[in-house]
Amino acid sequence: MATDLFVVIVGCGRLGSYLANRLSRAGHGVVVIDAEEHAFGNLSPEYSGFRVEGDATELAVLKQAKVNQADLVIATTRADNINLMVAQVAKTEFGVARVLARVFEPRREAVYRCLGVETICPTAVAGEMFLKAVGGEGSA
Amino acid sequence: MREARYLRERYRTILSYTGLILALCAGLMLTPLLVLFAWPAERSQAWSFVVPAVLMGASGLVMWRWLRTKDHVVLSVQEGGVIVLLSWILVCLFSAWPFMDVTGLNFTQAVFEAVSGWTTTGLSVVDVTQAGHLILLWRSIMQLAGGAGLAIIMLSAITGPTGPALSVAEGREQLVPHVRQSAKLVMMIYSSYIGVGMVALRLAGMAWFDAVNHAFAALSTGGFSTRVQSIGHWNSVAVEAVTIPLMLLGSLNFVTAWLLLRGQFRAVRRNGEVRVMVVLVPVCAALLFLLTARGLYPTLGERVRVAVFQAVTALTTTGFSTVGYGDWNSFGWMVLIVLMLIGGGTCSTAGGIKQYRIYLLWKSLVWELRRSLLPRTAVMENAVWEADRKVFVNDTRLRQIGTFVFLYLATFAVGTAVLAAHGYGLKESLFEYASALGTVGLSVGITSASAPAGVLWAQIVGMLLGRLEFFVIFVSAAKLWQDAGRMIRRAHAG
Repeated sequence: MATDLFVVIVGCGRLGSYLANRLSRAGHGVVVIDAEEHAFGNLSPEYSGFRVEGDATELAVLKQAKVNQADLVIATTRADNINLMVAQVAKTEFGVARVLARVFEPRREAVYRCLGVETICPTAVAGEMFLKAVGGEGSA
Repeated sequence: MREARYLRERYRTILSYTGLILALCAGLMLTPLLVLFAWPAERSQAWSFVVPAVLMGASGLVMWRWLRTKDHVVLSVQEGGVIVLLSWILVCLFSAWPFMDVTGLNFTQAVFEAVSGWTTTGLSVVDVTQAGHLILLWRSIMQLAGGAGLAIIMLSAITGPTGPALSVAEGREQLVPHVRQSAKLVMMIYSSYIGVGMVALRLAGMAWFDAVNHAFAALSTGGFSTRVQSIGHWNSVAVEAVTIPLMLLGSLNFVTAWLLLRGQFRAVRRNGEVRVMVVLVPVCAALLFLLTARGLYPTLGERVRVAVFQAVTALTTTGFSTVGYGDWNSFGWMVLIVLMLIGGGTCSTAGGIKQYRIYLLWKSLVWELRRSLLPRTAVMENAVWEADRKVFVNDTRLRQIGTFVFLYLATFAVGTAVLAAHGYGLKESLFEYASALGTVGLSVGITSASAPAGVLWAQIVGMLLGRLEFFVIFVSAAKLWQDAGRMIRRAHAG
């Protein structure tokens, strides 16, 4: 990955804080957004980015996090629809170069792809790995 | 057993980073030798710099190389505080060496001068008419580096731990969402200030050597001068007119400066610190002009100059002076003491309680009054502007500020009492300790080569507490104490 990206991460839960910690440690500028202040407790002491408390579906909150200057936006809230909405807004309203969204429901992935949003689906990834594990055992 | 091993691991890392800071400061200690090109006659003093620098550098490198661990270690805020505390104490001790060697100060006086330098205070026991260029430049360089934030700049800009632990300990905020980039930006802003300052002072009529020293001392809000009468030596409108904005820049929050540079004037105008400064400087200057300077100085122009300059030098905690305060009335002293206690902006090179805290306390007073006038169930929006965003102030924040101000004033009272116990008048003691604790450097004559050791040590403690963040110092010192006790107990048990 290129050095010194400006990354905005929406949602500071397990995945969001994991990404934020790792990216901040790697030297990137990171801003995390979460509606609940206590979610920032997931961040480790080495995280040196900014924290924005607010609802990421509001334009003002995204503006405050300077999404318009971001090189990368990652949406990791637990609601698929919020992730989609944030991703779309980041892409179309703010013109962010690269937008990634987490989506739990595998069936939605196709729809998101049509909308031009890059997705990662933990359910599908885990499912593949389960199948591989099962299939590997069965075939061998 | 496992706890002892864990603690040993942590302290290895802490000491290795401290070693790195020492090594870098050793390099800094050699920079005054550059004046030898211009004044080769002072060659004989060079050893007084080379010997401590080599000692400090060697021990630092050994600590760093030998204790460094391979694994990635994340420092907590308290551990960052321990690094900052340790490295400040060690660096100040080493920096005192040239003063003992060249100017013949005793240990207490030399440490006082070094601490006054690194903490950007500017109280001095050195006779500047006798001191050579080497010593004078070394004093200014200490202020330059101390103002920039010794540990964070040294470590985060170049190498070292990620995470905001060190900046918190030195009372700094970040400009951009990463410590290292933030430290680089601060460095860039700071060095461009210095460049502009040097040229401006030269154009205002100083010689190059004086211009360099005063630019360092003004922008770090330090206040060491190469002349006995400080800025008053030149008695020139141009010099004062250049110095005032330099001092104000030094006490301006770097975050605000960054906003200014990017042209976000609206955010600057709404900023609490800027508002405090904009109100305090003219009001206090006007009060000094009307009630203090009137009888003392013959011409109107001189009165205005004196009033404005003293208000700015006290509030920015720089401590350059243009006049003596012996003949001032009590009101003038009072104004200066209050300004020195308030101090400059957070995340700047200034000291004091900080304008931001004063602004929040003032705001909370207003909110409290308004709340009592509103119906009981009314919901209020208690918000202030911080950089370019609106921040809601909760009670935890106000409680922290309240405790801080109490601690600050309590330290102020204790320090003043120590000075008064040595036989100085209450007025003088209040003034001098406010000056030391706020890292200002204005003096009414208590600080001198003949001051008793007890007074100097009380001021040394005040300057260190005033420069670093109070709470972090206390917590780090407590942690050091506790951990040392644990390690010793374990060693005995094992």
